[in-house]
Amino acid sequence: MATVNGYQGNTPVAAPAGTAASKQPVNAAKIVDTQSVLKRLQSELMALMMSGDSGISAFPEEDNIFCWKGTIQGSKDTVFEGTEYKLSLSFPNDYPFKPPKVKFETGCFHPNVDVYGNICLDILQDKWSSAYDVRTILISIQSLLGEPNISSPLNSQAAQLWSNQEEYRKMVEKLYKPGSA
Amino acid sequence: MEESTSQPCILEILETLGEHSIQEIIESYNGFCAATQSLLDGAGNLSAGPEFLSHVHSLCKHALQPLLRDHFLRSLEESFEKISVRRFWTYFDVYSKVAVLEKNKTPINDDEVQIVLCKALEEISLEKQYQEKCLYMLVHALQSYKENLLEGEHNLDSESKYLFAKYQLMVSSVLMASLPLHFPEILHWYFKGRLEELSAIMDGELEDKNELQDKDDMDLDEKGKSRAGEMDVDECYNHGQYLEKNKLVKHIGKTVRDLRSLGFTSMTENAYASAIFSLLKAKVHNLAGDDYRSSVLESIKGWIQVVPLQFLNALLAYLGDSVSYDSSSAGIKSPLASRPSLGYHGVDIPSEGLIRWQLRLEYFAYETLQDLRIAKLFEIIVDYPESSPAIEDLKQCLEYTGQHSKLVESFISALKYRLLTAGASTNDILHQYVSTIKALRTIDPTGVFLEAVGEPIREYLRGRKDTIKCIVTMLTDGTGGNPNGSGNTGDSLLEELNRDEESQENVGIDDDINIDDKQAWINAMRWEPDPVEADPLKGSRSRRKVDILGMVVSIIGSKDQLVNEYRVMLAEKLLNKSDYDIDSEIRTLELLKIHFGESSMQRCEIMLNDLIDSKRTNTNIKATAKKLSQTGADLEENGASLDILNATIISSNFWPPMQDEALIVPGSVDKLLSDYAKRFNVIKTPRKLLWKKNLGTVKLELQFDDRAVQFSVAPVHAAIIVQFQDQTSWTSKNLAAAIGVPVDVLNRRINFWISKGILAESVRSDSNDHIYTLVEGMVDSSKTGGNSGSCEELLVGDEEGERSVASVEDQIRNEMTIYEKFIMGMLTNFGNMALDRIHNTLKMFCVADPPYDKSLQQLQSFLCGLVSEEKLELRDGMYFLKK
Repeated sequence: MATVNGYQGNTPVAAPAGTAASKQPVNAAKIVDTQSVLKRLQSELMALMMSGDSGISAFPEEDNIFCWKGTIQGSKDTVFEGTEYKLSLSFPNDYPFKPPKVKFETGCFHPNVDVYGNICLDILQDKWSSAYDVRTILISIQSLLGEPNISSPLNSQAAQLWSNQEEYRKMVEKLYKPGSA
Repeated sequence: MEESTSQPCILEILETLGEHSIQEIIESYNGFCAATQSLLDGAGNLSAGPEFLSHVHSLCKHALQPLLRDHFLRSLEESFEKISVRRFWTYFDVYSKVAVLEKNKTPINDDEVQIVLCKALEEISLEKQYQEKCLYMLVHALQSYKENLLEGEHNLDSESKYLFAKYQLMVSSVLMASLPLHFPEILHWYFKGRLEELSAIMDGELEDKNELQDKDDMDLDEKGKSRAGEMDVDECYNHGQYLEKNKLVKHIGKTVRDLRSLGFTSMTENAYASAIFSLLKAKVHNLAGDDYRSSVLESIKGWIQVVPLQFLNALLAYLGDSVSYDSSSAGIKSPLASRPSLGYHGVDIPSEGLIRWQLRLEYFAYETLQDLRIAKLFEIIVDYPESSPAIEDLKQCLEYTGQHSKLVESFISALKYRLLTAGASTNDILHQYVSTIKALRTIDPTGVFLEAVGEPIREYLRGRKDTIKCIVTMLTDGTGGNPNGSGNTGDSLLEELNRDEESQENVGIDDDINIDDKQAWINAMRWEPDPVEADPLKGSRSRRKVDILGMVVSIIGSKDQLVNEYRVMLAEKLLNKSDYDIDSEIRTLELLKIHFGESSMQRCEIMLNDLIDSKRTNTNIKATAKKLSQTGADLEENGASLDILNATIISSNFWPPMQDEALIVPGSVDKLLSDYAKRFNVIKTPRKLLWKKNLGTVKLELQFDDRAVQFSVAPVHAAIIVQFQDQTSWTSKNLAAAIGVPVDVLNRRINFWISKGILAESVRSDSNDHIYTLVEGMVDSSKTGGNSGSCEELLVGDEEGERSVASVEDQIRNEMTIYEKFIMGMLTNFGNMALDRIHNTLKMFCVADPPYDKSLQQLQSFLCGLVSEEKLELRDGMYFLKK
């Protein structure tokens, strides 16, 4: 009954398969490097924005994509529940081959955070890998809040108090100054 | 009576007199009174003259001249008032009621008015002349007495002057005091009637003359004739008509003179001025009317020259004879009469007075025409290209009157009332906008008023969703985007694009910094200040180029939006093409490139290049396929060769997002597609083809036992109908599974075939599952109307919302959700931010695909949306996260 007479104008897409590779010259100059760092940070930002993880966030400061502000909320069922901490992240020029410098801007009473906000976290030091990104850093710090490493404390008072969660909670509440970023 | 007239000064004289003298005086005085009475009542009989004379003489002896004068004047006044004036007014009593009741109409027979007025005037003038004669007798008596005494004669002259002036004053004041309300009205009617008569005579002359002139081109209409007639009235006098006209003018002149001598100078002037003006107004309205296709200004001017000015010329000349006569009444001219605009003083120098009148009349004509045109400006602009003569007229009028602001106000209110309403289609509004720009550009090249008028339209259009779409359609379609108004091709924006090519070049020259000094000097000399109405905030005129395209684009705000919409429309158009003919699209694109810059049109260019490439690749692939089949390939098994397949190969990165819908195409076609893709891969390694099977067009023919019907449909329709080739009845669930689309989509799409009468739908007990059956035979011929012809090609008008490319609104909504996440992210970290900081931050960091390209306004409205969704808060211009 029905005969196909013609099949026209069907619209395929030419998929460029494996083109982009090996385009860059071998002796990549520093500028090209900066460019690729920029690209990487931009795509990390995009990924972070689209990921929608709750309780973590970060965003570049006004005109410098190498300096970010971060925000971490204390996880539920930890002593840090209901608190919010501001962080600063500054990325080196050879990111992601070197880790970013991450500091607490809000005072944080935590065994692995000193009074200046410095953080003792392995992936931010010797265990850094270029596979990590802003998102994983923030998630790690968020989980660090609930699970401190008591064995190598920066804040020994906090480390000692950790065992008494009730007292610790009181201490956190006492020292917590929201919005002091 | 005697007692009452005695005045203190006279009493003194009386005291010095003896009894006898008093007796004599009383007798003489009584005699004088009686003589006066009989003189005045005598109606032309001056027999009482000698007696009067002797009495006057005897009274003068006693130095009672003042008494004489007063009594005489008084008696004159009384008789004038009692008899003449009353009679005069009774002539017009008939009209008093009519005048009050029906002021606006002309209920009175013109001729009757004329006759009555003339008669009344004649009578009262006679009366007056007679009284003047009596007065002259008194003067004469006084004079003769004084001459007897051999006194100087100088006083006597002044005496008579004084008496006549007094008399004149008395006459006019008596008349004025008893003036009925309707008299000015009557005068007005009279002059109107006369002028109309005159104008009719003149028109007759003109036509006669033109008939002689225009024997060659008889097809000219009346208006054309009268325009061609122009002036040079002197030549065109027919002798008889000349006489007739002269008579008429003389007649009017006499009436005017009579009226003047009665002291109605200013009233008369007002009456004939208002008659002339109302006639002129009627003429203007008559000539201008609702026809905007011809210019009427010249013919109006011509008419002014011919009718009212001729009349005034004759009238003033005629009155010029009686200047000396009038000078006696100079003292009683009303202050109105000395108004310079009335031009009355020009009596002595008719040319000057005439020029004043001409200027006055022309100004009035300009103003009347201007008001008329402004009131109808909306309609005029609606049929703009045809109505340009009217626009030209209006321009001249406005140059003369300078009432541009009137135009702006009235036009804006007309726009608001008639155009900027929900009922008007965006297309119409845009068309009117373009016409307005064009029309006002003629009237006011500086664009100041256009700015004022255009703003409300732009404002309104910004609120409409489909504005951009309409503009783009207007830009790209030769038809001006209006499917019904194909006649409007004239004002398509495409044409404007063309024209812009030239002007753009000129602009380039204009903006060149290296203009030589001479040119700069010339430019400086040509500088003119902006009109006072210009808005100083809007920049000087040099920057305000009236560029239609620019003004249209300015509705949208940014050209990027327009370019984007164009891209979507272009994609739609290209995808629906069944051949690779894109010449017109290339042309449009080139024009747009000139206007919007190469870089912004880059993606569109790539799209067009895709089409060109597709054509080449397509031919290439088919050529190789043919070669293969000649060498004995096995392509023929399905009866489907690659010949029937044309592919459009697109670089999807540069195209707007496509609607993606799964679809299972029939096996033979699928094999064809993959075969095609393979060949493509061979030619274009390492590229591969990914088919968008739901897009494109399928031409197919349905063969029934008794007929064959051709269709041109979307692939999904084809996929549906092909299923009925082997099985004539399907349930919707099974059919949906067979072609790989959801049931609801199937139900929607299959409606096409049902409406064509090819399939029939029946509902089973399970209401969600329909059964579709193929309709064989011709039972459906009634449904398909005249479709019974064996061969018919129908292009499927897809239902609303069924487009191959995601619409711009959808795209924007998609993009905005990305921005929402960014905005949330930055607000989490920075606490609060102002609008422009958010804008800048997005610009800087949201560089992924698609990059942030919204305007500040768009962002603001988006943020407003978020605030109303209670995601954000706005305090003191700063945005916060809502916690």
